[in-house]
Amino acid sequence: MYDSAMPPRSKPLRSGGFNKNTSSIFDPLAGQIHNSEGYGATLGKIDHGVTENPYERRFSPYDFNGGTCVAIAGSDYAVIAADTRLSSGYEILSRDMSKLHTLTDKCILGSAGCKTDVDQLRSVLDIKMKMYHHNHRKTMTTPAVAQMLGNTLYYKRFFPYYAFNVFGGIDEEGKGAVYSYDAIGSFERTPVTATGSGQAYIIPLLDNVIAHRNRLDEKRDLLKEEVVEIVKDAFISCGERDIYTGDKVEIAVITKDGIEKTYFDLKAD
Amino acid sequence: MSKQRTTQPITTGTSVIGLVYDGGVMIAADTLLSYGSMAKSFNTPRLYNIEDRILLGASGEYSDLQEIVAKVKALALQETTNSMESIYVDRKLPAKSLWNYLRAVMYQKRSKMNPYWNDVVVAGWDDQADKPFLGTVDKLGTTLQENLVATGFGGYLAMPLLREKWRNDLSEGEARALLEDAMKVLFYRDCRASARIQLAKCTSDGCIVSEPYELDHSNGWNAPSMIRAAGDLDGDGGW
Repeated sequence: MYDSAMPPRSKPLRSGGFNKNTSSIFDPLAGQIHNSEGYGATLGKIDHGVTENPYERRFSPYDFNGGTCVAIAGSDYAVIAADTRLSSGYEILSRDMSKLHTLTDKCILGSAGCKTDVDQLRSVLDIKMKMYHHNHRKTMTTPAVAQMLGNTLYYKRFFPYYAFNVFGGIDEEGKGAVYSYDAIGSFERTPVTATGSGQAYIIPLLDNVIAHRNRLDEKRDLLKEEVVEIVKDAFISCGERDIYTGDKVEIAVITKDGIEKTYFDLKAD
Repeated sequence: MSKQRTTQPITTGTSVIGLVYDGGVMIAADTLLSYGSMAKSFNTPRLYNIEDRILLGASGEYSDLQEIVAKVKALALQETTNSMESIYVDRKLPAKSLWNYLRAVMYQKRSKMNPYWNDVVVAGWDDQADKPFLGTVDKLGTTLQENLVATGFGGYLAMPLLREKWRNDLSEGEARALLEDAMKVLFYRDCRASARIQLAKCTSDGCIVSEPYELDHSNGWNAPSMIRAAGDLDGDGGW
């Protein structure tokens, strides 16, 4: 019966396997896995990918600090606006943090996303623009800055700046120029753009009202004052639905005469 | 040989809170050092006075805080003794410069996927603007300059109280009372906090960091909402 050449049978981990305990017939726990999960554990056991298998704690170098930015190009002006809320998870870190960064007296960069990456990107751009000024004895033009921003973002293609940018200004012909970007530097000159957490609420509205899509009435050039009112309405709607957008809107109007900034209060919830 | 990276904090301190008042800036933190759920040490100060000019405090990994403070102290000393101008002028490291420097350090560490696992609070007197300075830097390098700051749990529990009661013309006594009240709430509701706290203030005359002292919680758990767990409408909604 017991062949001595065979290796001894190892005892199974489950109790009640070769248990000669006669009460096993009546013991409801016999044959079950005894662990902290209890009696019902073997029935319909769901693996949540944590308790059964090894897992690794991960540090994420990115955080989403929220916010929405909008930029609109006009015939001789550009309007660029962003909310001033800085958040992290469900916490509001600041109600008064600007997302707009003046690069020259003719162009402004608006960025949403991870604030630390945005700050780093701004520092890098400022340095590059200063070097350009030292080397060429003039300020960079708006299209040149747009290209440089695209290149700077692509430079970090394999560890991107988590920054969603809109760039607006006046080009060399005095017309409004707005460029939209993705996180790795793909960019395009567009008449109207929005980015950030509230992007999906604002873009359809602006497509209709500013870019005049899907409308039957005649398109006319809008004045900068009208565009500012439309932007305020867009942010009010966006602030209602997007939890990361709110507190205040900072609106900058860029013309050949300079930059004018106004603030508009939003709901603080 | 493989390189090790920080994946989680081990020995930690909890919230640091701070506010700007009329004439200075004040920050507070408790002195409990936690080792997971173990209370490892009850008397570990987490607020530091740098060259009598700048206050530094942090929540998160304590060993990383010690590293940061060592680096900062060396930097501040270098600034006053070794820098090019120091033989001509009495130069001291400004708080805002330190805040920016820390931001660069934290950003570089996170970009190497090996952060200092801290939320650092930097406070001081800004001589150029003749105003108090209060700012934070987190482990990713996110910077904030505000009148009210709170790290960790303080952001959820203390910040609403501070935002409600803060005015920009608070006196020093009012500021202290407000901070102590917030620290008491944190002691009650943050399970990694203690009632033994440390206060630090900075004015144009310099910095003072207090010795740790115990908050009065002698009528401890007798607050009305803790005796009668009121789930009904005339209570506070319960636990």
